[in-house]
Amino acid sequence: MDSEPANLISEQDRNSAEQRRQSAERLLKAWETPRGWRYWSAVNNSEVGMWYTVASFCFFLFGGVLALLMRIQLAVPGNTFLTADQYNQIFTMHGSVMMFLFAVPIFEAFSIMVLPEMLGARDLPFPRLSAYGFYSFVIGGIFVCGSLFFDAAPKGGWFMYPPLTSSFQDDIGADIWLLGLTFIEIASIAAAIELIVGVLKCRPPGMRINLIPLYCWYILVVAGMILFAFPPLIAGDILLEMERAFDWPFFDPQRGGDPLLWQHLFWIFGHPEVYIVFLPSVALMAMMVPTFAKTPMVGYSWVVLSAVGTGFLSFGLWVHHMFTTGLPGISIGIFSAASQAVAIPTGVQLFCFLATLTAGNVKRSVCLHFIFAGMATFIIGGLTGVMVAVAPFDFQAHDTFFIVGHLHYVLIGGTIFPIMAGFYYFFPLVKGKQLSERIGRIVFWLVLIGFNITFFPMHITGLLGMPRRVFTYPANMGFDTLNLISSLGSMLLAAGFLLFLYDVVRPRTKQPLSERNPWQAGTLEWLAQMPDLPWGVRTIPIIESRYPLWEQPNFMRDVDEGRFYLADAAEGKRETIVSSVIDAEPMQCLRVGGPTFLTFFAALFTGGFFIFATYHWWLAASLSGLIALGVILTWVWTGTAEIPEKEIKDVGLGLSLPLYVSGPNAVGWWAMFITMTADITAFVSLVFGYFFYWTIHEDFPPQPLQGPGVFWPVTGLVLLLIAYGLTLLSRYWNRSGYVRAFYLSLSLAAVVSLTGTLALLAGPWLTELDPTTHVYPAIIWVLTGWTALHVILGVIMQLYCLARRAAGKMTDRWDADIMNVSLYWHFLALTVVMTVGVIAGFPSVS
Amino acid sequence: MKVIEMPAEGDTAKTKLFCVGILISGVSGSQSALNPAGAEAEQIATLFWWMAGGATVIWGIMIALLIYSLHLNPVAHPRQKSALFIIGGGAIAPTIILTILLIYGLNILPALLARPPAGTLQVEVQGYQWWWRVRYLNQWEEPIELANEIRLPRGEPVDFILSSSDVVHSFWIPSLGGKVDMIPGRTTHLTLHPTKTGRYRGVCAEYCGASHAYMNFTVEVVEKKEFDEWLAQQSTDRKTPQNEAVERGEALFLQTGCSACHTIRGTEADGTIGPELTHFGSRKSLGADMYPNSRDNIENWIAHVSALKPGVKMPEFRALKNDEYQLLSAYLKQLK
Amino acid sequence: MEQKHHHSEEFHERHERIWFMFIPPLVWAIHLLACYLTAAIWCAKYSSSTHSFMTVRVAIGIYTLLALAVIVFFCWSGYRRYRHLSEVLASDDDTPLDRYRFLGLATFLLSALSAVATLFVAAVALFIGNCD
Repeated sequence: MDSEPANLISEQDRNSAEQRRQSAERLLKAWETPRGWRYWSAVNNSEVGMWYTVASFCFFLFGGVLALLMRIQLAVPGNTFLTADQYNQIFTMHGSVMMFLFAVPIFEAFSIMVLPEMLGARDLPFPRLSAYGFYSFVIGGIFVCGSLFFDAAPKGGWFMYPPLTSSFQDDIGADIWLLGLTFIEIASIAAAIELIVGVLKCRPPGMRINLIPLYCWYILVVAGMILFAFPPLIAGDILLEMERAFDWPFFDPQRGGDPLLWQHLFWIFGHPEVYIVFLPSVALMAMMVPTFAKTPMVGYSWVVLSAVGTGFLSFGLWVHHMFTTGLPGISIGIFSAASQAVAIPTGVQLFCFLATLTAGNVKRSVCLHFIFAGMATFIIGGLTGVMVAVAPFDFQAHDTFFIVGHLHYVLIGGTIFPIMAGFYYFFPLVKGKQLSERIGRIVFWLVLIGFNITFFPMHITGLLGMPRRVFTYPANMGFDTLNLISSLGSMLLAAGFLLFLYDVVRPRTKQPLSERNPWQAGTLEWLAQMPDLPWGVRTIPIIESRYPLWEQPNFMRDVDEGRFYLADAAEGKRETIVSSVIDAEPMQCLRVGGPTFLTFFAALFTGGFFIFATYHWWLAASLSGLIALGVILTWVWTGTAEIPEKEIKDVGLGLSLPLYVSGPNAVGWWAMFITMTADITAFVSLVFGYFFYWTIHEDFPPQPLQGPGVFWPVTGLVLLLIAYGLTLLSRYWNRSGYVRAFYLSLSLAAVVSLTGTLALLAGPWLTELDPTTHVYPAIIWVLTGWTALHVILGVIMQLYCLARRAAGKMTDRWDADIMNVSLYWHFLALTVVMTVGVIAGFPSVS
Repeated sequence: MKVIEMPAEGDTAKTKLFCVGILISGVSGSQSALNPAGAEAEQIATLFWWMAGGATVIWGIMIALLIYSLHLNPVAHPRQKSALFIIGGGAIAPTIILTILLIYGLNILPALLARPPAGTLQVEVQGYQWWWRVRYLNQWEEPIELANEIRLPRGEPVDFILSSSDVVHSFWIPSLGGKVDMIPGRTTHLTLHPTKTGRYRGVCAEYCGASHAYMNFTVEVVEKKEFDEWLAQQSTDRKTPQNEAVERGEALFLQTGCSACHTIRGTEADGTIGPELTHFGSRKSLGADMYPNSRDNIENWIAHVSALKPGVKMPEFRALKNDEYQLLSAYLKQLK
Repeated sequence: MEQKHHHSEEFHERHERIWFMFIPPLVWAIHLLACYLTAAIWCAKYSSSTHSFMTVRVAIGIYTLLALAVIVFFCWSGYRRYRHLSEVLASDDDTPLDRYRFLGLATFLLSALSAVATLFVAAVALFIGNCD
């Protein structure tokens, strides 16, 4: 895309102003937000993103109130404001809410809202998936938080260490945590898929990979991290819930289990999680700093290095949460070294900001105040982080208030202050009006001072020996004054947030609209009108630089006059451009879904499945799950892979793009690929469990070997591989037009799949492996069960393709469905091979 | 709730320096990692002070740079120069500093984890919700069992053998050294070298349920000779009752069912569910270091234990008469 | 820079392998896991036997050499791509050559970081000589 803009303009000049007005009207009509009660059927990224942000901000306030309750309790020694049980529920919920219901969701929410704007796209590729994720998040979040009001909240800590949570808490709290949050984690993964495909495939023409806004690099890294970090936790959740619900002894040492397996799975999630929370805030700073320095970011490639580098390194740190579990020194040393290495990319990150600020003429504002506060406090958190990465010091500091201080410096300094800066910066984009600079300055001082008074003394409290998670402490141990100071500081901090909240929600009917691009920023999201219109962007522009608003002449005028791509919606459909991953060459004109309530009902019944399962109402849970499946199938059937009325469409400037793409160039294929990457990561985590038990036991599998034998698993393997082959064959025959062969092979594949599943299950069944007796049969059943469930899903997909073909919704030319299903089967085949290799192969060789 | 008083000593000067001299004064120090009384804690405290000093300097430099670039920066610097800034300050300097720190940390790590030589005093500690079973292993055929209190000889290494019978706990005596978790199904080790006599406090550092805050213990470091005498005394059975009140107290102890869970060597009481009580009267505290060991507190404990320690397994004995509480407390208190 | 370089076939997107830049950190990750698993399994299963811990140290040494070989290769090739056809250091224009050089620089920087991180992990084997 290197055509000269001047030529474009002269060509476009032939369009009369009247034509432009009409095309803008058609476009607005296509993207119109539903009114009245139908408003809630909206799926457009600006609506869903805003709801999502507001919801996660509400959860933040809820978590903040919980923190205040804790600080009141700890203000004086021996306080009786809260009982031990209440305190333990509250600190568990504070951590869980802040991590799962605020920190991760707000980044996803905000990205759903602004990512398309930054990319000059109309919407993300799967708007309905975003809506589904949002409703799942809200339903799950209310369920988990609500438990606190019935004195039924989880009280095992946000880290939920068994056996406390598996055998020593009989109430429903731990189940609420496990099932409620697993539900939310699935929503998080859905958003991650959306964001990855968004950044890679929905960029405007010309926005090569060296030109994308830095925010998008971070989002790409963070969403990628979610794909690999959340699945191990989901695997852990499954194991722990199986132990709680069915007495499968994964963490019970009496029956071969081991509590440390949970700690590994939890922290393989938990440490990257910290960076998943922190990096998006750096991303926000990376957008704001160049704006206020009025110069492009210095060291763009270095920032990319630090984003990608931190993303990778953060996966090599998880054991530093387990330094005191009695691991051998060599393991401790390895993770101590890796934990220190991660400080290098973080240092690079900070110096890129410093360099940019010195290279520009800084324009001061409240945003910049908060960025300063964020960096100044985050550096303290980072330095104490390096200190605890040095294992010997961690032996003392671990599980004390020192860590509480450290982590809040990282998470409030590194995450919340930049988010507040982001609020000031992006508020006009959402509301068309600015937040008050005057109130902002008061908020800044209140929050900065309150924060430091609250959390700095905690470092000392911890070193004086006060452990974390205690609901009270004795007097005269040196903790009294420091705790009182912390508690008083927290009130100041709360006052700051309250004032901030007032500024955000106060009525602003009299306040004039903000000018357009109020900060004179250079990136695409500031093309937005005040107030913004639902179409995302008037026309999808051609990009030639990192800061098009600064560097491309007449850019805003050309966009406003619709002089680029897709300035019209002639067919009244919602459309955006899909481009290639590296150079953003336009590849497809993608039609995205419009308003629907299906996503709401899908989320409602998915939620029902998890919520009913919490109470062990299995019938209701299964029913709800089946309805959810039905709704999702309806949604997919009516809303995806629709056969267009024509092959290609003229998107303007003489460019014609296909309306329908299948296979590796299609966004749906990418989504399936990414989903299955996460899925197989969860499966690998379960396999890790098997080998973990092998390392800790003298004889694992226990001798004499009980099961599942070799015959049945291998029979299952052979049958399932035949089914896999038949599925691939049917894809080929579908494309070649051999309709009968297609029907025959795919039906046969479904039958053989089910037979193969039965054979697979026959292994542990016929050898009478009882999963409650020992961890060996339990892990065999989990691996087999996981695979069996996935085959059943695969069969549903095969039947779906048969039905699509029969209904004429899939043909030899329009074959996205079978392409995506066969991609699913690639991963399924891999899962089957690994399962059989482990359960039948490993006992034979070990 | 005043449990232990310790004269302030040691690093108060440094502590004051650390928190600008106003925040702490009159720290008892008995639970402080900055007031080391053991070789391990000393090494780690030194490591901490070095790191804290270095961190302060680095933070100061960063803040100075930030303030310069935000507020004082007169003219825009050339971008090329700014890029050098990233290479020098962001990449090279941290790499050098971290390398030094890594070597320092790795250098002291092996000694902290090293297993002590054979013949070292071995103390087995088992964590329970929410108390500690303590067993001294060496030299005697039967281990000597105590609860919630540990005495150690000054200047000698001690090898703690740690395990748990219910949930994950963590054994930590801040003044002597780092902590090690007690994990069900596993045995972990911790070696400490006490260097100063005195009374210290140990805590459970891993969240372990309702009364996690009330799971503490007393540590007393004494001279070797005193330690040997104490241990020899602790290994004996309880003294035979010398007067009628004590005899009645013991009878009451056995009748009311206390013996189902508690052991008093020399009597029929041989329960193992709860803490061992043979020399209970010699202990400084009650209820895993919740209260000073006084008769009033003992009576209160027996009558209201569930209210005092949430989730505790010991049942309340409400049905006793007033004088029976007194008999029991007098009996327990004289078990020296 | 000649215009023809910008558009020559050499720099076309289809020859680009973006995941090349992720190989060095991936090698770091594999190296870390290999070191950790070797040490953990050794200490869990064989530490009581007569085998010397030296085996673990040698294994870590070999892993490190292999990992560094791969990382240095990518470091070098990234640097070469970065300096390709130009003395100018920037790579923020809208040409395939700029993208080509940007990915080269990113690969180079990630390789350097991965090399340092790998050496950090390997250094542990120099200091710790048993399973305590």
